Amino acid sequence: MTYLFIILYAITLIYFALSERTKKFVWLLAIQGLILFGVVFFSLNKIDIFDFIFILLETIVVKTLVVPWFLNKVRKHNQLKREHEPYVPVFYSIIVVVIILIISFMLSNYLNDSQMHTQYFTIAFTSIIFGGYFIMIHKNLFSNVVGYLIIENGIFLLSLAVGSIMPIMVNLAILLDVFMGVLILGLFINRVGDTFKSVKTEHLSKLKD
Amino acid sequence: MLMIFFAFSIIISLLTFLLKHKTLTNILPKLFLSAHIAVSFWALFKINQFDSIYYKFDALSVLLSFVLSILSVTTFYHSYLYLKRHKVSVEQESNYYAALMMLITAMTSAYFAENIAVLWISVEATTLLVSILIFYEHTEEALEATWKYLFICSVGIAFAFIGILFLSMTAGNNGITSLSSSKLIAVAPLMNPLWLKITFLLVLTGFSAKMGLFPLHTVAVDAHTVAPPPISAFISTTLMNVGFLAIFRIFTIVAQTEIIHWVQNVLLIVGVLSIFMATIQLQRVNHFKRMFAFSSLEHMGIVALGLGAGGLGYYAAILHLIFHAFTKASLFYQIGQVYQFFKSYWIKDVSGYFKLNPIGGLSVLLCFVSILAVPPSGLFVSEFLIFKALFVNEHPIVAVVVLALLSVIIYTILKNILHLLFDDVPTGLKVDALKVNPYETISQFVLLSLVIYLGINPPIFFTDLINEAISVLN
Repeated sequence: MTYLFIILYAITLIYFALSERTKKFVWLLAIQGLILFGVVFFSLNKIDIFDFIFILLETIVVKTLVVPWFLNKVRKHNQLKREHEPYVPVFYSIIVVVIILIISFMLSNYLNDSQMHTQYFTIAFTSIIFGGYFIMIHKNLFSNVVGYLIIENGIFLLSLAVGSIMPIMVNLAILLDVFMGVLILGLFINRVGDTFKSVKTEHLSKLKD
Repeated sequence: MLMIFFAFSIIISLLTFLLKHKTLTNILPKLFLSAHIAVSFWALFKINQFDSIYYKFDALSVLLSFVLSILSVTTFYHSYLYLKRHKVSVEQESNYYAALMMLITAMTSAYFAENIAVLWISVEATTLLVSILIFYEHTEEALEATWKYLFICSVGIAFAFIGILFLSMTAGNNGITSLSSSKLIAVAPLMNPLWLKITFLLVLTGFSAKMGLFPLHTVAVDAHTVAPPPISAFISTTLMNVGFLAIFRIFTIVAQTEIIHWVQNVLLIVGVLSIFMATIQLQRVNHFKRMFAFSSLEHMGIVALGLGAGGLGYYAAILHLIFHAFTKASLFYQIGQVYQFFKSYWIKDVSGYFKLNPIGGLSVLLCFVSILAVPPSGLFVSEFLIFKALFVNEHPIVAVVVLALLSVIIYTILKNILHLLFDDVPTGLKVDALKVNPYETISQFVLLSLVIYLGINPPIFFTDLINEAISVLN
């Protein structure tokens, strides 16, 4: 079952590369949240109630509901519809995703640690690298935050891949930290939008020597 | 004790933020500062003891906590002057102090964190809190710098977290089920060297944004440029110390393994590249705060060289970090005063400061003697020891290259400072409007005296603390 979720997650990454509408980015993030819940739920053999509540909170409440809801508000506030002219055409981006996926697969087989879940590692690594690529090819701040969240989802998968030993309280604190980060980033996007009447990165280039 | 301090700080900050009362805004920060000083002394008396499962009072954290206590007092004083001059409302004043107190609390948490994950959370918290203060002047430049700082630091810290995950995996392979530094140090020799190398690279890259080190140094430079001068002083000193500490914690783990020489070579490369970037950027710089920011990049590069050199270099790196904190804070406080005369930080607009404010001019002169590591500055002692370590540990080429780069840096900074101090006063400057109380410069003289005193005649307890902090490396 987990393989199905991993494949679905890979498909969302390809859709990210294909999409040019910001609304679709938000939807894809919400879907990734659901997929992550599925991955965790089906990969745990025994699950106690506290773990279950935490996973539910992290994936469904935060990643699927609250963050996409908040991003939608930011999107509407700044009247964002379409991501115009990314630095790299869509066609090339799809090829890049596939190449990242192949490289990740080869790398995870090369590293092959006894503690490591190879399939999770492959998709996690792909997500992290693709998140970085997504930030680089887009010209507006909103898409940059979407890229950051793709990286964060990749890190979530990576923590499963490496069998993270962090206690639940620490995990919760990390989640809150990231959540606060997204909220503050969102508020600053609104501020940039209000000040410059646009959230394109080109407006943020005054500070130089 | 720390949990009580954290609870106390959060309550005080919330009261300051919510009540927005003039008298309370005056009293509460003083209470907070007293509590922070008490925590530093408590940590000194309880050294090497755990405070909870997540915190421990080790020698390095005690040292950095004292630096933070001292600089918090001076920063609050200069913040008070800054806010008074800008005639801000009680509401703005309350927001500023509340954010500053929470930032100091987050930094204290980072210093004392024994658990790597708690350290990571604290570092992330400092990023969010300092962004409020960087944006304080609400200008377009402040918005740009804040966005870049927040975004790049968040991405950097996310990458550092990946490193911590790999560390947790290789520790898990050896039966360790927590991210406690002392436990990780104990099993470090058994860990997989490949994973440790990847961990170190990710942590170094991620936290380089906080430490102001190559490759993610640019965001810290922009933040320095636009933040209020007392906050620039904090970003350039205590906050960079947070970044150093985060890297140092991982360094102490990898130092127990066979990859230590590889890691030291990485640090040497990063150190040289940081100084090289500072040299290049300083040639183009035309803004005093940016010049100081690139000077911080240079000094953090020197600290990285100290760790990379090893042996005596470890001691010198920590010494350098402390002296740099006191000197650079003095510089930023003083540039705040310079701004009162010229209403500009641009180099072309600022000259003849010695004539206008002789005490301030003297302070600038001493700051530059100190920051350029000219005797009797303590930074001369630390830099001398780092170069000695480089030669002794067979890195003469690195030492010679860095010495050449430092010569260029000294020339560039000196040229701009002589312009600031001794060129003609700009025509059209309204001299009658210039009023800065000479007593405002006392804090700079105290900090600079500390740098000289600790460099020339360090007390035994001070050197003992540094030696204890690096004992795990030797």
